[in-house]
Amino acid sequence: MEEKYIICEDSLEGIFTAVYDAYALREGHEHIHIQVGEEDNYRLFAVYLYSRPDYVKTNKVIKTLKSRLGDEVYLALCRAAASFYEDKGEAVYRTVVDGITAGSGTRTMDNLRNPYVARTHELARRTANEAHKEIEFLRFGELENGVLYARIGPENNVMAFIMPHFADRLPKENFLIHDEKRDLFGVHPAGKDWYMVSGRGACEYNIADKDNARTTAADAPDAGIRLSGEERKYRELFALFHETAAIGERRNRRLQQQMLPLRFQEYMFEFSPR
Amino acid sequence: MEVRIAPQMPLADKLKILADAAKYDVSCSSSGSSRRNDGTGIGNTLAAGICHSFSEDGRCISLLKILFTNECIYDCRYCINRRSNDVPRAAFTPDEVCELTMEFYRRNYIEGLFLSSGILYSPDHTMELICETVYKLRTLHRFQGYVHVKAIPGADPALIQRVGFLADRMSVNLEMATADGLKAMAPNKHRNNILKPMRQIQNGIIQSKNELTVYKHAPRFCEAGQSTQMVIGALPESDYQIMSVAENLYNKFSLKRVYYSAFVNVNEDKDLPATVFGPPLLREHRLYQADWLLRFYNFKADELLNEKRPNFNLALDPKADWAVRHLEAFPVEINRADYHTLLRIPGVGVRSARRIVAARRFGSLTFEDLKKMGVVIKRALYFITCGGRMLYPAKLDEEYIVRNLTEQNKPGKDGKLSFMADGTVYRQMSLSDYGVQPG
Repeated sequence: MEEKYIICEDSLEGIFTAVYDAYALREGHEHIHIQVGEEDNYRLFAVYLYSRPDYVKTNKVIKTLKSRLGDEVYLALCRAAASFYEDKGEAVYRTVVDGITAGSGTRTMDNLRNPYVARTHELARRTANEAHKEIEFLRFGELENGVLYARIGPENNVMAFIMPHFADRLPKENFLIHDEKRDLFGVHPAGKDWYMVSGRGACEYNIADKDNARTTAADAPDAGIRLSGEERKYRELFALFHETAAIGERRNRRLQQQMLPLRFQEYMFEFSPR
Repeated sequence: MEVRIAPQMPLADKLKILADAAKYDVSCSSSGSSRRNDGTGIGNTLAAGICHSFSEDGRCISLLKILFTNECIYDCRYCINRRSNDVPRAAFTPDEVCELTMEFYRRNYIEGLFLSSGILYSPDHTMELICETVYKLRTLHRFQGYVHVKAIPGADPALIQRVGFLADRMSVNLEMATADGLKAMAPNKHRNNILKPMRQIQNGIIQSKNELTVYKHAPRFCEAGQSTQMVIGALPESDYQIMSVAENLYNKFSLKRVYYSAFVNVNEDKDLPATVFGPPLLREHRLYQADWLLRFYNFKADELLNEKRPNFNLALDPKADWAVRHLEAFPVEINRADYHTLLRIPGVGVRSARRIVAARRFGSLTFEDLKKMGVVIKRALYFITCGGRMLYPAKLDEEYIVRNLTEQNKPGKDGKLSFMADGTVYRQMSLSDYGVQPG
C-alpha cells in the first residue's frame, strides 16, 4: 500500500485537524504520516494530501483527547505541537494513536519505549523548559503610557504557556509580550482576560528598525518605543544590584552562561554594556 | 552605641552598600510556596520557584537580597559587617525597600524580597523595623509575591510570630556546625539563641498546618518553611560533623533547606584559613550533593560517612563513592528493582527512576530506552543490568570502576585535577596486575 502524507499548517489547529483527517481516512495508521509545513523532498509513490486548519475538527479532537487521555497528556501534546522541530506532527499523531487506538489512555506519556511517545515527551519537555525560562528572564519595560512591554525571541511557540502566569501575577497591569520570531503578541488589558494577536507586518517600528544597525536585541526597544521617565532609573538600579550581588572570589562566567544562555541574555538589559 | 550612617544618601548608593553586604548569604530560593493572586494586588508564587537572573559567579538572582542596615552591634569574625570593621554603613527606610521591591517585581526582575539585617541598637529594634517593612509591603502595597525574612536571634518571640504570618519563608543562620565553633567565631551569639527561634518557627508552621486542615482560610505561617546556613571551611570541622548536624536539622527541626557557604576570608583574619586560592567550592559542592542524597534519595548521613572516613572524596561524587564501597548491592536489574533501589544507582536520578518505574509497565526496558529517559549511562553502566545483561562486560571491582569513573573527570582548564582530601590515592594499574611478568 502506498504511503500517505498529510501536510498541515504549523499550528496547534493545523496539527489537530490533520489528526482528525488521518482518522477520517479510516485506513488504519500504518501508512499515514503527518507533516508540518511544506514538504521539501517529495517521495515517489507517495500520496500528498493537504489539510486546512478547521475550527470544528480541532475542537472535536481536543474534546476526545481530554476525555480519553486526560489533561496531563493533552497538555504534553499541546506543548509538543508548539515545538519548533519539524517532526512534531508525526510525533504527536503517533502518540495520539498509541493513547487512543492502542489504549494507553491516561498513561500514554509513560510509554517511553514507544519512540514517538519518547519524542513527544522530549519536545514537550523542551517547550515547557523554554516557557519556564521566558517566565524567568523576560523583562518588562514601562512605556510612557504606563503599559508594560516585553520582547522575547523563543525557539518554540511558548506564548500560550507564559501568558496565564503573567495574567495571574499582574492582574491590574496593562501588559504586552511580543514574540519577535513569530510577530505574535500576548495582550493583557488590566482586569480583563488575556488574548493573542498575530501581527505579521503590523508593527511599524519593526520595519523602521531594520534600517538601524542594531548591536544587540536589548537595544532595540528604545529605537521606536518610548519608555517612561522612571524606567531608566529602575533599570540602572537593578543593573547595579545585579553587578553587586556577585561574589568576586566565586567568579564563574561559564556557570552563569550555562544557567542563562546567551540567547536570553540578548534580551536582558542588565547584560548589555552600560 | 554611635551610629555611623550618613544621614542623606542616594538610593543607588544605599542599594550598592546593602546588596553588597547581603550577598554572602547563600539562600536564594523562591520555592515552596504556591499562591495565586487574589485580584486585589500584585504577585503570586510558584512552588518550583523562579530565578530571574544569574550573577557573574553563576549564582541565581531570585529575590531582592538586601540588608535593612549593615550597622551592627556584633563583632563576628567571619562577617564583613562586624562592628570593628571600617566599612561604609547605610540603612534603608521601610518605604524605600517597598519601592524597590514593587518596581522591580512588576518589571519581572525579581521574585520577591529577601530581607536580612545587621543588628541596629538591639535585636528587638531590628526585628521591629523588618516587621514594619514587610507589613507595609503586604498590606499597603498588597504584595503577594515571595518574602523571605531573617529571624534575628534574641528578638522577642511575639515579633517573630508576627513576621511569620507575613513571610513565606523565615530563616535563622546556624553559622557554624558546632556550638564551640560558634563561640569562637561569633562571641556575641549563642547556640541556644539560634535554636530557640528555629524551634518557635517550626512550631508555628506545624500549628498553622493543623489549623488549615480545619479552617480553609486560617492564616498561613511561613508556608515555604524555614531554612538555615552553615559556613564551610572556616574551622576544622569534618564533613561528617556537618552532615550529621544537617540531618538533625532536617529530622528534628523539619527544615526545608540547609545551605552551605564556602568560607571567604573577607576580613583577612590571620587566624582563619586564607582563601587566596579561592573558597573551598568543591567541598561545598560535595556537601550539596550529599544534602540532596539525604533529602530525596533516602540516604542517612552515617551511610555516606563515618568517624573513620569523615570527609567526602573530592574526586568522586558521594553517591558513586557510596556505590563503589557497596558493590555487594550491585548490579541492579533495571526491570525488577524497586524505586528505592533504583534511586541508589549512580547516574539515575529522581526523575529517571520515576520514568523507569512508569515505563516498564509497558514492557521490559533496554539500555537504549534508559538513555532516552535521562539515565547517565556512562556512570550507571557498571551498576546495572537490563534483562540480565550488562551493557558490556565490566568488572564489579572497586578500583576498576573508580578508575573509569574518575577518568571521565578530566582536569579543568587550569590543568588541575580535583585532589582527594583524605589522601586516598587510586593507584595506577601496572602490567603485573594482569598477570604479565616483566622481562
